[in-house]
Amino acid sequence: MKTGRPAGAGLLSAKDGRWLCFWIGALIALGIWDHLFLNRPAFERIINGFINTVFIALLSVVFTLAMAWVITLAFHRLGSANNRSGFYVLSFFLNLIRSIPQIVGVLFGYIGIAALVTAGMLPGKAAIFLLMSICMSGFIMPEVIDLLRERIDHYVKLDFFNALRVCGVSQWRIINFDILWKNSRIHILNKLISVFGSAVFLQCSVDFIISVGLSSDVNAVTLPTTLGSLLAKMDSKQDILAIGNTLTNPAYLPQLFFQHLQGLTVASLIVITLLAVYQISCGYAERHRL
Amino acid sequence: MTGRTFDIAVAAAGRSIVRVVGYPVFDDRITFLFGESGIGKSVISKALYGFMNSAELQIEINEKPYGSHLRDPWTQAIKRNSFFVFQEPSSHFNPLMTINDQLNEGSLAGMQEEDILSRLWRNSSTALIRKLLDVFPKPYRPSGGEKQRILLAMAFKRIDAWIASAPSGEPTYFVFDEPTGSLDNTYRNLFLELLFEKYMQKSFTIVIITHDYSIISEIYNRYRHLIDRVHFKELSRLDENRVAVHDFSAEEYLDWLAAPRPQPVKHLVVDPVLEIQPRFSIFGRRLAIYADSERTRLQPLLINKGDMVYLKAPSGVGKTTLAKIIMGIYRAEQFSMTLDGIAVTDRSAMSLWPSSIWGKRAGMVFQHADESLNLASTVRETFKGLPLKKRLSESALVNYLGELFDGRPVTGSFLRKKVAHLSGGQKQRLNLLRTLILGTGLIILDEPLNGLDFLSVKKVLGLLDEKRAAGVSLLMISHNEEIFEHFIDEENIYYLGEIE
Repeated sequence: MKTGRPAGAGLLSAKDGRWLCFWIGALIALGIWDHLFLNRPAFERIINGFINTVFIALLSVVFTLAMAWVITLAFHRLGSANNRSGFYVLSFFLNLIRSIPQIVGVLFGYIGIAALVTAGMLPGKAAIFLLMSICMSGFIMPEVIDLLRERIDHYVKLDFFNALRVCGVSQWRIINFDILWKNSRIHILNKLISVFGSAVFLQCSVDFIISVGLSSDVNAVTLPTTLGSLLAKMDSKQDILAIGNTLTNPAYLPQLFFQHLQGLTVASLIVITLLAVYQISCGYAERHRL
Repeated sequence: MTGRTFDIAVAAAGRSIVRVVGYPVFDDRITFLFGESGIGKSVISKALYGFMNSAELQIEINEKPYGSHLRDPWTQAIKRNSFFVFQEPSSHFNPLMTINDQLNEGSLAGMQEEDILSRLWRNSSTALIRKLLDVFPKPYRPSGGEKQRILLAMAFKRIDAWIASAPSGEPTYFVFDEPTGSLDNTYRNLFLELLFEKYMQKSFTIVIITHDYSIISEIYNRYRHLIDRVHFKELSRLDENRVAVHDFSAEEYLDWLAAPRPQPVKHLVVDPVLEIQPRFSIFGRRLAIYADSERTRLQPLLINKGDMVYLKAPSGVGKTTLAKIIMGIYRAEQFSMTLDGIAVTDRSAMSLWPSSIWGKRAGMVFQHADESLNLASTVRETFKGLPLKKRLSESALVNYLGELFDGRPVTGSFLRKKVAHLSGGQKQRLNLLRTLILGTGLIILDEPLNGLDFLSVKKVLGLLDEKRAAGVSLLMISHNEEIFEHFIDEENIYYLGEIE
């Protein structure tokens, strides 16, 4: 009887692997096409915007995880020490954040960042990136805190937790190593993939809103270029209108791929990235039976 | 004697679960199948019965695909004539149907069960049994033992149908997977009595998968006339993937049991390690510790240095609960104990246990190794984070594990193996060793022989005896009365009971 791994058990055999390949493949294809047919300044803006978007989203993932982990441990500490007032204060703070729609929270956070930049209080690009990521993480982290607390609560009810405690293993080791790291890292990683998608989506939405509606001066001068802000630019908007035009005038379709590349590329990058991240997350969950 | 042998191989996602050559099924005989838990007894039995999902598993029987086994006339016949009693009764009831409806569902419909139920619930009134049948099963209701007996009742209905049928020469295959796991000895014996009575009316093929070695004594004491129709078989591991089936020597077990028990080392100074006052309450129930099995003489539970004490009680009374109270996991009312000089009451601060007791003065081996070990960890990681006096090197750990894993040499690759990939018996031994390495003066062992094969049982008891001789005090909780009553002095046996 064959007991080896079935043929084709590599990256492409899993749904998440296939979608990761699709994402990377689509990025490369778009890059090659733009390199051939898009003017150099616009191409560089798109590369810059994409890298900034992905970088801020990755930073948001890191901050979300760090903040959620610390707050989860604080919840556990307050709960096990029977410190009800501390527990309720922290719950209230978390629920307050939860009550604000993420997009509204991040929007006001960005306004604050823009104000700081205008006042000259944020010297470099790195500081702006950090603040933008922290701002986004603050509104995404309740989801991750819920997951971490759920995992801990599940294991604390089992004999597993008490069996380790009565062996003299410290509670912090059990929580951090045995429960969160050894038994929950797949769940956490799956959640972080979603967090990355949320961060891209929030960033694009908020940047688009700021660039279109609030202050083009602030955006143009101070905040880094992202896919959202690129989409809001006049020439991108014309490109998007051109996509709409093909619905009533299909003969115009071929020209989209040569004359309206900036808007088309930015829109494609956003849509393909969000779709691929969503499918990777679903595939990962299916593969690990979460 | 007729029968069949099977070569069975089951794998999942390319990883072998079990592979056995020459597994016998003796027609119209009674086979007791022993072996450490997780070795593949249930998998083999289910595969033969035709229960496995070939979409998820790769199964071959006699080197043919599973589909061919399922189409075999033997498999078709046993499915018509037989029954499979599953190991975990709780998961096999439909919560949306009453017990009575499930007892009369499908092929069980139209057959009487009153006689069977009254035999399995001896001393219970018909009204009480009827009340039970109207219940929608939930995880905690009826009790584990009651659910187990209901499953057995279903099997007996199928047996009655087989007995009532005209002689057909068709094969049968009644499998009882751990049928007495949730039953105390009284109910276990009622089950055996009824089973053998039916068997004597018309013989059929019986396979009983069990870890309960004391069943051997029951058969030799009460059913000696059936001995020549009984086979004792055991599965043992040949290597990572293969298991072997061989005869289990019932005589060896009985001789071991009859052999003079080791005399405990008498410590010159009587040094109390644990003393628990006999009355306490928890979860609205009043419990008490007694010195006699009739539960008339209240007595504090006293464990001196180097004592092995056995706490007895029927299932569900609260043996494990008391162990958890001692370890500060549950809080009882009117509770008072002295542990290694520390006075503990129901008003003691919860911080007392982590600061002074856990891993320092006392340790506890929990009942189910599967639930108490971190299955996602490696064997090596299981020993990390313990409050040991000195760092445990890899070579020291290899030597230490050798105390109970000496069937095959322990290697570095074993240390890197995930606990989830160990067999049930290996997990149980690891569970024991994790607590024993702490070197605490008191160790509470809740069902320490769970899931072990006979060889491991002897080794574990030998190791515990060494600990006792070295001055460690042991509090044993186990349903395996025959073995522990043999090993522990009568004066060190206590009885837990509920005060009405």
